[in-house]
Amino acid sequence: MGNTASRKIRKSYFKRSTGDRLFSGILVLPAVVITVIFIIVPIIDSVIKSFLDFRVKNIISNQPGKWNNFENYIKLFQNEKLTGAIITTFSFVLFVVILQFVFGMLLALILNSKIKGARFLRSIMMTPWVVPTIISALIWMWMFQPQYGLMKYIVQLFTGGAVTDFAILNNPSTALLGIGIAALWKQVPLTTLLFLAGLQNVPDDMLEAATIDGANKVRQFFSIVLPYMKSVINVAMSMAIINNFKQFPLIWTMTGGGPDNATTTLAILSYREAFVSNNIGSGAAVTTVWMLLMVVVVFIYKKLMGETEVD
Amino acid sequence: MKKNFLGSLLKYGTLTLILLFLLFPLYWVTITSFKSNMEAYKFPPTFIPEAPTLSSYINLFTKNNAFFVYYKNNFIVSGFVAFLTTVVAIFSGYALSRFRFKWNSWILAILLASQMFPVVSRMISLYDLMGDIGLINTMPGLILALLADMLPFTVMLMTSFFQSVPVAIEEAAYIDGASRLQILYRIVTPLVKPGMVAVVLYSFLMTWDDYLHAATLIQNDSLRTLSVGVALRYLGELSYDWSLINTISIIGTIPMILLFFFFQKYMIKGLVAGAVKG
Repeated sequence: MGNTASRKIRKSYFKRSTGDRLFSGILVLPAVVITVIFIIVPIIDSVIKSFLDFRVKNIISNQPGKWNNFENYIKLFQNEKLTGAIITTFSFVLFVVILQFVFGMLLALILNSKIKGARFLRSIMMTPWVVPTIISALIWMWMFQPQYGLMKYIVQLFTGGAVTDFAILNNPSTALLGIGIAALWKQVPLTTLLFLAGLQNVPDDMLEAATIDGANKVRQFFSIVLPYMKSVINVAMSMAIINNFKQFPLIWTMTGGGPDNATTTLAILSYREAFVSNNIGSGAAVTTVWMLLMVVVVFIYKKLMGETEVD
Repeated sequence: MKKNFLGSLLKYGTLTLILLFLLFPLYWVTITSFKSNMEAYKFPPTFIPEAPTLSSYINLFTKNNAFFVYYKNNFIVSGFVAFLTTVVAIFSGYALSRFRFKWNSWILAILLASQMFPVVSRMISLYDLMGDIGLINTMPGLILALLADMLPFTVMLMTSFFQSVPVAIEEAAYIDGASRLQILYRIVTPLVKPGMVAVVLYSFLMTWDDYLHAATLIQNDSLRTLSVGVALRYLGELSYDWSLINTISIIGTIPMILLFFFFQKYMIKGLVAGAVKG
């Protein structure tokens, strides 16, 4: 009875007033205008520019770019810059996202297991997350420093003096790994925090019942904890995928894309083409391919997550 | 019994390793900032400064104080962006949560998609666009670009906070004759204070961290913000002054750590709400 009455009032409050549409429209207007002008229009514009011969000198002399028959794309594929960058980007994303899941989950499970000082640990473990990206790059460059770095010393110590020239960022085959470690350092805390929140959704009585039934911890984790955390894992991992796909300052500061292009991801390649080589059209071609890949990846990810839901 | 012992050994061993990975680098930077350049370049390194000194801090405050211009600019930019983001996010969050119109789903779709686009792609065109409207190389230009960058996530976050406020309170105020704006300002907004704090902190933290926007839209050294300023001035091609860099790292991080520890309750609540519901 009370419920229907309140529904009636709600109806009159929201539908009767003619001003609702206007009021709501005015309220959302600033956000929509700003997003359209500074995000949507630039994105469309950059896709258009990717088909043009457009350089920084066009901006200075205020001349429009010229259609150049997909030359930006053809060149990028011919000199294998783009394929290299795509492979590098995917390796980086895969490495960071998978390890982030593993470390984040381990830490969350441990912090959730009623150990002493869990609250305190939860709050201090968040610190790397608030360290600005460029500063985390500097911190890890100092750790990895090839002459006086701590890592060089630790590696020397653990290998009994066999490896004395450990310089992870200077070697093309390990540089990406070095950046990945720095990325993990900054990102694991937030993932852990989200997973901890997700663990609150797992009903205790289910776990107790499972324990009584004799299911071990590993079994409980896979058949009870994981399914209950699905939505949180889903959100945390899509965030991680998107953020690492976009990662720029960390790589740019630590290696600048080198050595020997070993860490040139799509973000680095597009920035370098557009703002270092001043070939804006070519940079736009890289970001266009990149956006398409991102759509594909998110689509596949959604599909995979959707399918496991059916099981 | 034995299995239990092994279990907790594994548990505490893993915990220690992960925490060491997360926290030791911070300790390392802190102690390096208190070492003299001589000691910082010692190999093998010292784990506790032998002769702690403030020399690199004094150096930063006296000789290398261009840093503080970047620092100040970063405060101005992040402050404005945080303020504007919060105001805009409150308006649109309220509208999106309270009024159901056809355009709502379109707006949400635009906001969601905006988060995915690479920043470089936007910068390529903004560099040109900002030049046309005379906003390149100005702080308002940078602030607007960053505001746009912050809005998608914060609007959705605010929407989810408004959704958790019961409509009945507003209905009562409406019947009492309060206007729509009065309801929004006096009645609903105070109820979503935790969400507001989360939005302020989130946008402040994220803009403090910005590199790409400032790198492309600002060319004048006196307008540069922290990340770009530090990268261009202190990271020379060959020789890095590591004591100075470690000191910069500490000073550049302190405001964020203070903010986080004072407001961590709101921050965590907001982020979790945004991630779990959004």
